[in-house]
Amino acid sequence: MTLLKAYLRGLREGWFVLGYTLCVCLSVFILAPFLMIALRSVGKGWFGKLWLPPQLTWDWYRWAIEVGNIPEVMKNTLIIGVIAVAVSTVIGIFAGWAFGRRQLPGKELLMAIVLLPRMIPPITYALGVAKIFYTLELVDTHLGVALAHVSVCAPFAILVLSATFEGLDERVLEAASVCGANTVKRFFYVVLPLIMPGILASMLFSFTHSYNEFTLTLLTYGPNTVTLPVRTYLAVGDGYWEITSAMAVIMVVPSLAILAMIQRRAKPEKLVGGFKGV
Amino acid sequence: MSDAMIEFREVTKRYAGLVANDRLSLTIRRGELMTLLGPSGCGKTTALRCLTGTIRPDAGRILLDGRDVTEVATHQRELGMVFQNFALFPHMTVRDNVGFPLMIRNLRKEARATRVQEALRLVRLEGYAEHYPRQLSGGQQQRVGLARALVYRPKVLLLDEPLSNLDAKLREEMRFEIKEVVTRLGITAMYVTHDQAEALALSDRVAIMNRGRLQQLGTPEEIYETPNSRFVAEFIGLSNFLEGRVASVRGATMTVTASGLSIHTPSLPEVAPGHKVLLFVRPNEIEILPAATPADTNVFPARVEKTTYLGDTMDYRLMLGEGVELRVQADARHRYGAGESVRLRWPRVRSWRANEE
Ligand SMILES: Nc1ncnc2c1ncn2[C@@H]1O[C@H](COP(=O)(O)OP(=O)(O)OP(=O)(O)O)[C@@H](O)[C@H]1O
Ligand SMILES: [Mg+2]
Repeated sequence: MTLLKAYLRGLREGWFVLGYTLCVCLSVFILAPFLMIALRSVGKGWFGKLWLPPQLTWDWYRWAIEVGNIPEVMKNTLIIGVIAVAVSTVIGIFAGWAFGRRQLPGKELLMAIVLLPRMIPPITYALGVAKIFYTLELVDTHLGVALAHVSVCAPFAILVLSATFEGLDERVLEAASVCGANTVKRFFYVVLPLIMPGILASMLFSFTHSYNEFTLTLLTYGPNTVTLPVRTYLAVGDGYWEITSAMAVIMVVPSLAILAMIQRRAKPEKLVGGFKGV
Repeated sequence: MSDAMIEFREVTKRYAGLVANDRLSLTIRRGELMTLLGPSGCGKTTALRCLTGTIRPDAGRILLDGRDVTEVATHQRELGMVFQNFALFPHMTVRDNVGFPLMIRNLRKEARATRVQEALRLVRLEGYAEHYPRQLSGGQQQRVGLARALVYRPKVLLLDEPLSNLDAKLREEMRFEIKEVVTRLGITAMYVTHDQAEALALSDRVAIMNRGRLQQLGTPEEIYETPNSRFVAEFIGLSNFLEGRVASVRGATMTVTASGLSIHTPSLPEVAPGHKVLLFVRPNEIEILPAATPADTNVFPARVEKTTYLGDTMDYRLMLGEGVELRVQADARHRYGAGESVRLRWPRVRSWRANEE
């Protein structure tokens, strides 16, 4: 009897150990390529069967920044990101308001169409975009690349902001009117603060999407609008692995910073602005 | 200057398939506290929303202080309102919530602070200025709502079931507080509720609504003592009803036969023998007497079926004559037990003409 119990307990602990091991393995599996790249970006003379690089150096970063023209590329990426965020957020606010506050006929169908660019394969979509942009001469302009990004950022913004507007309490808006606020004041003092968390969330998501966007950029960029992901990809073709790795790491840093920001700031309860007693 | 502060003139509001307000006409006098009383869904909130302008009536006019405001935008109507579900601004502190109407009216900062302080003192929430609505209890949120409605001293205050979220004790307290504040500030108030005790305790006049229509308008006494319909009588307090036919009319009194009893009651205008009438007696208006009481006008034999002890009163269910059940509430000092035979004296019976089938 006791033997059986001990056996069962052993089994249970065994499961736990196994599960834990699997989790750790998975993390390593996910992180391994990145660690590899990170190591390579600071290693020197790392050839053959060596486990670790024999020498560490920051040289590759210097090279990457100089040869890869990173400041210029970073500037492009940011300009494009800011334009894409601005346009998507404006679209998101208006469309989200329409979706969230109004009884639209055929609402579901409209929403499906809005989400379509996210559903069809990016390359398919990108080809179409490129074709149109060539005729409009939007290729290799910051605005052009940003607009291409909008096609994937805007659906996100619309989705997030529709939910935000839907969560707005009609009675609170009524209260503002009865208190004497006209439409403009009501918007600035009540509506805007209440949807601000949603706007911030949608801006963050839009920015990360634009920042990481590759396929759409590849088909619309030009010499003046190289972005970080594209530059990194081009560096692969040049064959200098160390430099490419350094670029890849540089590219990750802002993403991590944004992730940290989201984790710190975007508390779920802040996103809904709910209140007790209803 | 006319006496009317708020006037509904034949206001009608339809929603798909139902009429929420049906030619509602109602006048609320300056400085008066009027209660709009009615069952859930009878159109009380709809009437208030027509008045605030958050919905447009399909027909009819609304006048505020003699001015037709039917086409005036909500924010220009200068009303104070406490909402059924508080509707506080969740992103603002109590101070900012209460100060909101003042800020909108571009009041200077110092003046605003004093007025907010005053309003918070009025609702006894001075210590909570920096709290957010979600950090307050339901009762406290309700009081913030009241402070916000009063802070800029509107001439008209609307309260939509402002006490419905509070517990019984707090409700009683707040009831008197509201009454006190409204009287002291000389505000005209329209108070919506479906609690009849609240309505009777608070109001100068009560308007009873049913299915979007005004049923009766009068002082609490009038409403309680002389309800004009079965609906009103049932809604305000407990009642016993008896259907009968007029047997004879003699001047100011008439005799009605109902369930084999001959009941004397004040006569109705234009009533003639044979007319159908509905008799109505309040449970506390019936006296229970020992079985040995001699027969007299409006004294009938009955049998006690069930008794319930209610503290200061006893609640009896009695069987009268041929299977008529009556409810009587009487002093608990003198008790009758179930099964006991008694006599009932009806000193006061009221009646309405009933529809002939
Ligand atoms: N926006 C709306 N659309 C459709 N019907 C509505 C709408 N608002 C209210 N109604 C209907 O109108 C009727 C009256 O509603 P109202 O809110 O005025 O009731 P009320 O008297 O305030 O009830 P309660 O005491 O429960 O608050 C109800 O039957 C309700 O279903
Ligand atoms: Mg209501």
